[in-house]
Amino acid sequence: MLEESGFVDIEIGPPVDTFGEAVGESKARLFAVYGYAFLAYRPR
Amino acid sequence: MSDILPVDAIALREEVRTKYREVAVNPRGSFHFHTGRPLARRLGYDEAVVARMPDSAIEAFAGVGNPFSLGALKPGERVVDLGSGGGFDCFVAAGQVGPEGQVVGVDMTEEMLSRSRAAAAAMGLRNIEFRRGVIEDLPVEDGQADVVISNGVINLCADKRRVFNEIMRVLRPGGRLQFADIATGKAVPESAIRNIDLWTD
Repeated sequence: MLEESGFVDIEIGPPVDTFGEAVGESKARLFAVYGYAFLAYRPR
Repeated sequence: MSDILPVDAIALREEVRTKYREVAVNPRGSFHFHTGRPLARRLGYDEAVVARMPDSAIEAFAGVGNPFSLGALKPGERVVDLGSGGGFDCFVAAGQVGPEGQVVGVDMTEEMLSRSRAAAAAMGLRNIEFRRGVIEDLPVEDGQADVVISNGVINLCADKRRVFNEIMRVLRPGGRLQFADIATGKAVPESAIRNIDLWTD
């Protein structure tokens, strides 16, 4: 969706276990939910 | 891509507001996600930054990643934080852009705005402003941001295309979006996607 919105040079960081040991961990594991950092630019 | 939204955007917004009002009022309560200083450490924030942050500035933090992990902000940059919550990422950003920079946090929850404004005042930060608004209709002028940041908020919006269009509008040409959010590695059933309760639990 970032590309569809016109962003360029998109970069995605490694996954982070956001929900590990939290109450919502089991639900997160069910759908392999992880946190990610994203970087994208508006074209000049 | 279809523009038909999976859930009622307004109803979802109210669910989200209710959930994060709870976090603002009782940040040490029981939630399905981690909060506060332990969460910041889990997500890989700079330990020195986390350590010197007062409790009032970090205890309601409920992000899902580290938007600064792919690059620090530069001195003097103008930053807009979408869904600024208790203000933690704004405070980190303010430290990186310095006194010549400017940070605007946007949040729709009054209790979060009260919390973040109080923490900014307590820390004596003069380069931060918190505005009430929704991220699908940002209270920010065109091209005013060098950088847009966000943390665990865009996933909670039904109309993501509209959010990204708004981000594009407020960024200057060549400006960047650096945000953290969750993504699923397995397909989520259509029935689950249409269940608003599962978006916030």
